[in-house]
Amino acid sequence: MNKIVAMAAKDIHILFRDKLGFFFTIFFPLMMAIFFGAMFAGLSRGPASIPIALVDADRTAGSARFVGRLEAAGGLAIERIPGDQALEQVRRGQTAVLVTLRPGFGAALDNPFVATPEVEMSVDPTQFAAAGMVRGVLLEAAGAELQAFMSDPSRMSVTNEQNRRLIEEFSPPSEARDDLLNVLDQIPRIPVLIDEAGLGSVTTGATGGFGPPLEIEQTQVQAQRRGPTNSYATSFAQAMLWTLIGGSVSFSMSIAIERSRGTLMRLLVAPITARQLLAAKGLACLGATLFTSSALITLGITVFGVTPTSYPLLALALLCGSICFCGIMMVLSVIGRTEQAAAGVGWGIALPFTMLGGGMVPLFLMPEWMQTLGNISPMKWTLIAYEGAIWRGFTLSEMLLPCAVLVAIGVLAFSIGATRLRWDTG
Amino acid sequence: MLVFDHVSKCFGDLRAVDDLSFELEAGEVFGLLGPNGAGKTTAINMAVGLLEPDEGVVRFADEAFDRNPRDAENRRSLGLAPQSIALYEQISGADNLRFFGRLHGLRGSDLEERVAACLDFADLVDVGKKVVSKYSGGMQRRLNLAVAIIHDPELVLLDEPTVGVDPQSRNAIFERVEQLRDEGKQVVYTTHYMEEAQRLCDRVAILDRGRLMALDTVPALITAHGGPGNLVVRTGDGESRHETTDPLGTLAELQARQAVDHFQYLPPDLETVFLNLTGRALRD
Ligand SMILES: Nc1ncnc2c1ncn2[C@@H]1O[C@H](COP(=O)(O)OP(=O)(O)OP(=O)(O)O)[C@@H](O)[C@H]1O
Ligand SMILES: [Mg+2]
Repeated sequence: MNKIVAMAAKDIHILFRDKLGFFFTIFFPLMMAIFFGAMFAGLSRGPASIPIALVDADRTAGSARFVGRLEAAGGLAIERIPGDQALEQVRRGQTAVLVTLRPGFGAALDNPFVATPEVEMSVDPTQFAAAGMVRGVLLEAAGAELQAFMSDPSRMSVTNEQNRRLIEEFSPPSEARDDLLNVLDQIPRIPVLIDEAGLGSVTTGATGGFGPPLEIEQTQVQAQRRGPTNSYATSFAQAMLWTLIGGSVSFSMSIAIERSRGTLMRLLVAPITARQLLAAKGLACLGATLFTSSALITLGITVFGVTPTSYPLLALALLCGSICFCGIMMVLSVIGRTEQAAAGVGWGIALPFTMLGGGMVPLFLMPEWMQTLGNISPMKWTLIAYEGAIWRGFTLSEMLLPCAVLVAIGVLAFSIGATRLRWDTG
Repeated sequence: MLVFDHVSKCFGDLRAVDDLSFELEAGEVFGLLGPNGAGKTTAINMAVGLLEPDEGVVRFADEAFDRNPRDAENRRSLGLAPQSIALYEQISGADNLRFFGRLHGLRGSDLEERVAACLDFADLVDVGKKVVSKYSGGMQRRLNLAVAIIHDPELVLLDEPTVGVDPQSRNAIFERVEQLRDEGKQVVYTTHYMEEAQRLCDRVAILDRGRLMALDTVPALITAHGGPGNLVVRTGDGESRHETTDPLGTLAELQARQAVDHFQYLPPDLETVFLNLTGRALRD
């Protein structure tokens, strides 16, 4: 063990002595974090249509008609989801705004004289702009619904008959009751009267006197995020990924360098086993990448205001990310037998996978199909784990999937690399 | 004790080492002398277990060498200074020594003692804390040698330890090798510099194209393979050179004919032996 630690310590010492290695493992990722963080901070995120999740808790013909109207209106990408999953989905950042049609919504639409349809909007504090637009679309649809009602005498008659029966049933005969029934009788005539008065083109006239066509209760959901509040939260997660990539490429080169500089020969002549050598390389890579990724996020937290949602999960994510990339390091060092080959192969493989995995364009800004394709990239799982702890607010069980994937990739790659690695000196 | 018993090693069609046999004796410096590509490094690599012989056995302390799994005990008792400098350039000389010392199981004050002793051995005490990339070629060579002996091995294998160094460093290395011999270590020393072998080696094996051409002490090799020496004389007619095995007789003969102003006798040396045995054709 002492020997393994000695070898690992030597590798880490050399990595940080090496200016290029230092550049790729710390400086370059840090610059990226600051650059992209600052860039996205000034960029207003406004997708063409606002994604909303919609729960129809009313489930009547009326509420279905209203949803149809929303869909036809455009500007919203509506995903209808069952009520029990709603908050969960929004909290994970899959939708910007959650709209719930309360029970009684359809009844109120069909009887605007008695009740106002109610919706509930759960909105992330960062999504106020989007929420405002959603509100507008909702009100417009409700207004159109009301207008449709008002311009349909047969629907109004039906409603009137219902109301008349209710009034007659529950109110004892009085002057007020008679007046009320008279007013009801006049209502179906309103559209005709509007036309006759020459107001046909003034659509809003129809709603006059009824107040807002929709009652919207807006609540904030703190954890509800599609993107992070602080753009540095994404860019530092990416930077941590880059430091893993830089570290694993550097260490995969280190075996080739030991070979070309002849020190591998000395190691092989020393009383240590190939297994100890492998363990030392793995340990060095793990130690170095853990250190650099922790250092980066510490800087992000202390200087750039990144606030992880869970520190224990962050620690778990850091560990699993490093394990994954130390395995990848082993495979890279088998493929690249010389220094230049190791570096070339390392970066050549890393870049496309990183792009696909959200290491350049943040995951939450990538199109859906690309996010799916990204599943083949270890970089994506690393970012999901990091982001899960930094801003996505993952629970332990949500964190288990990416972490298990990372550890599995790491262990598999390490064992493939370790069995394929040839400890020859030439 | 290192023993080569009918050892051969091939790379494809090339027999880099061909049926090589020798046995080291206690406390000797053993020279492996041969032109480029003779198979010296290949032989050394088999001695330390980096390469496995295709035929024959390499034994150490009468135990069969196991390359994989490698026997830690055997490895502890040998030290290798590879032909090309094998050091971590980014860390200091002392840290290189410390690292390899740890790999050999040294710790604490034992380790620090050995590091100090080896820095002193290599005349690098003043620059021990400097990173190796700032060292001169000679300093790196000396450190390359010092790292081989950090764990105080019984057998030290030095593969061309004086390549590319100035006469001062070369001389320092000679003295160090002599010091190792005086400490009772066995040293295997490969070179293609005759004067090094002549000065340092108790016995010399001359290798060519993987084959052992001759193996003996330097004087015995010269007697056996040196051929005649050269007598150089200056007379009124100028300088002339005469091959002879009897310099006194030849000198008397010449003086009888003409007055000799000046003479010098050049006895056969290892170089003559070497060229006689390996021919004068250029190698790779
Ligand atoms: N790994 C290898 N693969 C193929 N051929 C090799 C290998 N190692 C050595 N050789 C060949 O074997 C022969 C002996 O090489 P070796 O390095 O042992 O010679 P050497 O005596 O040490 O020469 P030098 O004085 O140049 O160091 C050479 O022709 C060399 O090209
Ligand atoms: Mg050689």
